[in-house]
Amino acid sequence: MQISLQQIKPVFLEAEKIERSEIWNKNLLWKKAAHLHIVAPSGSGKTSLIHFLYQIRQGYSGTLSFDNRDVKSLDANEMAAYRAAKISIVFQDLRLFPDHTVWQNITIKRQLNPYQEKDTIAEMADKLGISNKLDRLARECSYGEQQRIAIIRALQQPFDFILLDEPFSHLDTANRNKALELITTEAQKREASIILADLEKVDGFETNQLYHL
Amino acid sequence: MQKQPQQNSSRAKNQPSGIASFLEQPGHRFSRLLSFTGLAIGAWLLLSALQVSINVSQLLQEKNPGKDGFDYLPVTKLITNENMGSDNRFTPSEIIALKQKPFLEDVAPLQSNQFKTRASAGDLIPFSTELFLESIRKDFIDSAPSSFHWEPGQVEVPVILAADFLEMYNVFATTQDLPQFSEKSIGAVSFILECYGPGGMVPFKGRIVGVSDRINSVLVPENFLQWANQKLGNVTQAPVSRVYIKTKDANNTSLLQYLESNNYRVNKDRTKFGRIKQVLQAVVTGMASFAVLILLLAIMLFAFYLQLMIARSKENLQRLKMLGYAPKALARAVSGKWIPVYAGVIITALCFTQLLQWYFSRFSIAGKDKLPVWVHPAVPVLAILLLVICVSVNRFMVSKSLRKIGN
Repeated sequence: MQISLQQIKPVFLEAEKIERSEIWNKNLLWKKAAHLHIVAPSGSGKTSLIHFLYQIRQGYSGTLSFDNRDVKSLDANEMAAYRAAKISIVFQDLRLFPDHTVWQNITIKRQLNPYQEKDTIAEMADKLGISNKLDRLARECSYGEQQRIAIIRALQQPFDFILLDEPFSHLDTANRNKALELITTEAQKREASIILADLEKVDGFETNQLYHL
Repeated sequence: MQKQPQQNSSRAKNQPSGIASFLEQPGHRFSRLLSFTGLAIGAWLLLSALQVSINVSQLLQEKNPGKDGFDYLPVTKLITNENMGSDNRFTPSEIIALKQKPFLEDVAPLQSNQFKTRASAGDLIPFSTELFLESIRKDFIDSAPSSFHWEPGQVEVPVILAADFLEMYNVFATTQDLPQFSEKSIGAVSFILECYGPGGMVPFKGRIVGVSDRINSVLVPENFLQWANQKLGNVTQAPVSRVYIKTKDANNTSLLQYLESNNYRVNKDRTKFGRIKQVLQAVVTGMASFAVLILLLAIMLFAFYLQLMIARSKENLQRLKMLGYAPKALARAVSGKWIPVYAGVIITALCFTQLLQWYFSRFSIAGKDKLPVWVHPAVPVLAILLLVICVSVNRFMVSKSLRKIGN
């Protein structure tokens, strides 16, 4: 899979910000097996870009294409197929199911399109230090724990691109490094690209391309 | 380090998973129960209506008296006080209209004599009577032998007599010192048949070659009557007062309705089961309509319940769509959850219909006939169709609601 951005710019963003950006209003082509790091202060449209790429918002001009096909022409079922097999995501606001257990939150993604054995859930949870939370309701976990749940959930499926929107904002350095290592390893297994958007450059993330939004 | 997560995960594995656990059940248990009860009653009434309709048709089909699978009925125009003075004979267009009806296999007019006829037995038996003659297509006569044939110039005219007339003669013969005849022996008797009219008088020799149970008349070959009408009565096209209809089912309600609406008269005894059938079909139709109404209400009630469930689970469904669950798969999961319940309800209705059929099959109905023990194959087919309709309507309603909730 490849993602192409042609003159994409949000309709709501000031012209001055768009002019300074290395992504907005530019022509870009992103392929598999790359580490792309997008750095920008608040209000530059990081989350908007991630939402455009994941197609849960469409307030932009220009053309965004998956495999040379304008994503606006994809119907809901076609887009669902991309989300199930080609693009995974960690939302900034996580979007967990608060009234379901951690286990249910993770397995609901795995059931859709399982990539690896069920036991790896426990291994990942152990690695990120939440193995004792699997039976708890998601809303009973701290925000940092919820971030790690969202990361493990995103790694349950096959993908060519994984979109990360400030995924470590509530993690300490040690946990951030563990999470980053896990994500990098899983992306390597799939020969997938990581698109990591954050306020500042994330230490330890080896990038092929750094963009200032 | 490794042991802890495994213990946790095995505990966690026992938790319910799948989309079903992400759907919130509205608390309206009563409306759900009402919907399924309605569905069960409606399905049972509809399946029973179909079975009763099949039973009635089968019972009345067996009442069909026709040999060779057909009924032959004489039809005349109904004479009332209002139309007594007018011409109550069939016009050619009326006969053509009758022939075109799908419930009739064939129609044949009865031609009558347009001249006078007298029959006498000569000196042997002191018997003489004015007579009427009629003719009809040979294939409508149940007992026409090969000798029922006449050529111009032939003196002997073959006659087929109604069995009822022979019976009446035999009753009359005993009181008048006349000889009685059996169906076989009457063929040996010949009589003088004097035909006369404006065209003159021609004597013929009549011979009874057959007795008909079907046609109440004195029948002669068609070409003889045409010749005599033209020669003696000076009439080329004889008017038709009576037609015979050939039908597979004299109790066909469409046939009876058509005859009634055109003021045609038919032997009521031959079609009495048709009239019962008309009443029963009206009852069954009413029952089926009521069943469909109940079914519609039940399906609608459940559709509202599903919509309520979708509205309550809106946030979860949006998130599932966001995670990559296709709207089609979600619709399948949401509506599919109820397929076993629908199937259970409709199978229960089918079982009750079967139970009812078995109960009625134990009794004799209308004399000697017994109903089959098992329901007709059309009944389970209708049950499957009902299930497909219910599931499809649900799937459609759910898909529509899911499209509305967005990403």
